[in-house]
Amino acid sequence: MNKILLLLILFLASVDEARAVSITAPYEYGKVIIANYSERAGLAPVVFNHWVHRARYTCRLCHVDIGFAMSKGATTITAAANKKGLYCGACHNGKRTYNGMTIFASCSEATPRKNAACERCHSLKKNSAQEREFKSFLEKMPKNASGNGIDWEAAESSGRIKPIDVLEGVSIQRPRIKEQKDFVIESKSTGTSAVVFSHKKHAVWNGCEVCHPEIFPIKKGAAKYTMHEIEKGEYCGVCHNKVAFPILDCKRCHTGVKI
Amino acid sequence: MREKAKSLAIALAIALSVLFGMPLLTSGAFIAAAADVAQDNWKTEFEDICSKTQDSMAFTSDELKSLVDRCDALKPRIEKLDETQKKVYLKRLQMCRDLLAFVMQSKLEK
Amino acid sequence: MKKVFLVFLLVLACSGLVVAQTGTKKKRPLASDYGNVVMNNYSEKSGMSAVVFSHWLHRARFTCRLCHVDIGFAMKADGTNIKAIDNMNGYYCGTCHNGKRSFKGVEKMFEACSKKLTPEDGKRCDRCHSLGKNVKREYDLAEFTAKFPKERFGNGVNWELAEETGVIKPLDFLDGVSIKRPALTIQKDFSLDAKVEGMPSIIFSHKKHTVWNGCEVCHPEIFIGVKKGATKYSMIEIFDGKFCGVCHGKVAFPNLDCQRCHTKPVS
Repeated sequence: MNKILLLLILFLASVDEARAVSITAPYEYGKVIIANYSERAGLAPVVFNHWVHRARYTCRLCHVDIGFAMSKGATTITAAANKKGLYCGACHNGKRTYNGMTIFASCSEATPRKNAACERCHSLKKNSAQEREFKSFLEKMPKNASGNGIDWEAAESSGRIKPIDVLEGVSIQRPRIKEQKDFVIESKSTGTSAVVFSHKKHAVWNGCEVCHPEIFPIKKGAAKYTMHEIEKGEYCGVCHNKVAFPILDCKRCHTGVKI
Repeated sequence: MREKAKSLAIALAIALSVLFGMPLLTSGAFIAAAADVAQDNWKTEFEDICSKTQDSMAFTSDELKSLVDRCDALKPRIEKLDETQKKVYLKRLQMCRDLLAFVMQSKLEK
Repeated sequence: MKKVFLVFLLVLACSGLVVAQTGTKKKRPLASDYGNVVMNNYSEKSGMSAVVFSHWLHRARFTCRLCHVDIGFAMKADGTNIKAIDNMNGYYCGTCHNGKRSFKGVEKMFEACSKKLTPEDGKRCDRCHSLGKNVKREYDLAEFTAKFPKERFGNGVNWELAEETGVIKPLDFLDGVSIKRPALTIQKDFSLDAKVEGMPSIIFSHKKHTVWNGCEVCHPEIFIGVKKGATKYSMIEIFDGKFCGVCHGKVAFPNLDCQRCHTKPVS
């Protein structure tokens, strides 16, 4: 009886949430639905698309300088905050420009509620115009088998996109800290190649503060984690589950290249 | 004659009792006043010791030791105060005493 | 068998705890919420909302030392154990919030916790006992700090520069509370080398800290080693709210801003 009990416990401990691997369409990958207060205000939830933003700005700019959280619904953005120039309102204020174009205002005083302008963000309906925009953007970019279908790393390193890292009036610049060297993370299962972690490739988008110290402690080896935690959306999984290239793409990390 | 001697004796007795009795009568008041003074004194003592934390580095380790001892002697007096005062001043005394001990330690270890 | 089972569960539980600290990105508080401390020793038990204390409004006017040494506030939420009666007796919050004390720009600070309450007093109680209530704050951070030098993270204000340039003049002495003392002899700056290669070293400035803290805020409770280097600690402890992290975790500029401290380039 005791043996059966022990086996049962061992089984339960090893099985966490059984996850069905779902493949998201390239256009939809990185989509975040924000629904803290929209319904209360009589609006559809906000559909935020990562691809259109990461093509123009670094992750660091939004997640460090502007202060967006990195899990769905955690930032608790209000229309009032946007109007004050915080969060979405840092750029979406009807004044800031990108490549000569004025960025539309979010939650402005001028537009009444339930206006067509609100639906640019507050809409769950299919957005054909944006999908077409994505398709034409995709054509110009180096390809990738998963995620958005775009190799963002190559797109940046080849200069096809030049993500902005500083926002006037928001960012406060610091002298660059010398990047840490690449290092090897050995794989725990036999048959899977080791991971060569590149600080340089990550720092281009994230600086230091996106990952340190909250996701990864400063001391190497201090945090113990496995693919299990990554799959749950922790550690590497904070980004490489739903926004950056997904962990389905094993060989992107498990290269086994010796350094 | 006897009447006169009697009244003289009574007068003398009263006078003597007043003379020696007064201190006995007033000593109660003196004790109460002394207690009041002692009560006020704890604060003066506290302020005197703890005003010295600012330039504690300038004192010798002996001087610091005497200040720490004075803190320790003051503590039971503060413990007799009302709940709020006790809570506040025990903490303030603690911080003051610990700093002085800290500086003293740093001088001894130099 | 039972023992094995229990030990197994314990190991599972503990491993869960180790992972809980890192691995996810926490939400950053709004600039106006940064430094807020919720105090709830007795509020809810007394049928009131917990107190939400705002650090930025107070640090713009007073030094850290005044409240944490002279008045005796603890440096941990709920650590002071303040009761309404303490406030009424003129201690803790009641030291200033007594309906009588005035400062530059503020006439007669509102009274905290009075014995007799009128129906109008509800609004006054709500000024502090506001957790979960939609209380309109008397002071707006953006307006109040409009002319202050800016910085990133935290309150979005460069408090150090604001004090240095005289934009704010935090009070360090309170009549009837503070002890008259001679000026502080400032200790020298010293360098702390980072253990991670390539990370700029730190120049610790006593001067910048003593302006706000005097000696007692840090010594010996936070930094106990009398000899430099006696106390061993790393960024792990700091991020965990110890040592530098006691202040630079939730009140002073946050640890997240690496280069505020790591300024001296590695040669």
